[in-house]
Amino acid sequence: MRWKQFFTPVQSMNSEEAREFMSGKTLDEFTLLDVRQPGEYEKQHIPGSKLIPVGELDKRLDELDPHKPVLIY
Amino acid sequence: MLSGKGFDQVINMSGGIKAWNDRVAFGPEDQGLELLTGNESIEETLIIAYSLEAGLQDFYLTMIDKVLDDAVKSLFRKLSDIEVIHQKRILEEYIQITGKEIDRETFESVTVEKAVEGGLTTEEYISLFKPDWNALPDIVDLAMSIEAQALDLYSRAADRSADDRSRGAMKKIAEEERAHLEQLAKLMDTL
Repeated sequence: MRWKQFFTPVQSMNSEEAREFMSGKTLDEFTLLDVRQPGEYEKQHIPGSKLIPVGELDKRLDELDPHKPVLIY
Repeated sequence: MLSGKGFDQVINMSGGIKAWNDRVAFGPEDQGLELLTGNESIEETLIIAYSLEAGLQDFYLTMIDKVLDDAVKSLFRKLSDIEVIHQKRILEEYIQITGKEIDRETFESVTVEKAVEGGLTTEEYISLFKPDWNALPDIVDLAMSIEAQALDLYSRAADRSADDRSRGAMKKIAEEERAHLEQLAKLMDTL
């Protein structure tokens, strides 16, 4: 069996590009979204990130502003 | 999951928190992979879904050999068994929708094989994410990201279904993938 990517394509940034993207922006200008588990978030997360575990994401989309860029990790 | 739901700009940070901490470059996750548009027909979606289920099953079976923890082995075995049931249901759905009388062997060897031609092997696919085989959270995290893709795929297929029966079938599988995610999340919390 072979794998192919089948998602709607999304833009991808490496961590350095993400740092650049975030620098000079306030947290009001974009959403930094952590989709890991609460335990992982508690141990460590990128400052300013909002936690919505991936399993809950599709039910909690209304908590996010669709007009702001969303940077996900 | 956000894409196609009205979000203007969605950016994935490749490598996640690990790359953020280590400041290491992480290869593009679409390397060697073909991006589909998200506008595939329900028939095409079912073919992709079938290949995904086979991939997931293969993933779990591959992982069973690699992880040492018995509880994790047992969960992966259970999840792999369920993916087989999903494949069966997806094929039934495909037959219903297309009206094509096709057996499982032909469907797999012709229809699905053609759709994933040139794709990656499970090992190649997994290696894109560079998991640490000795770190269980890395492996569970990877499983969760694949299950999330499955959930997303079925949710979109449900939205695109032409009739209630088909929509119901896709929603049911989507809910089961959500349950898988929850099981993996619970496991993650214990690690």
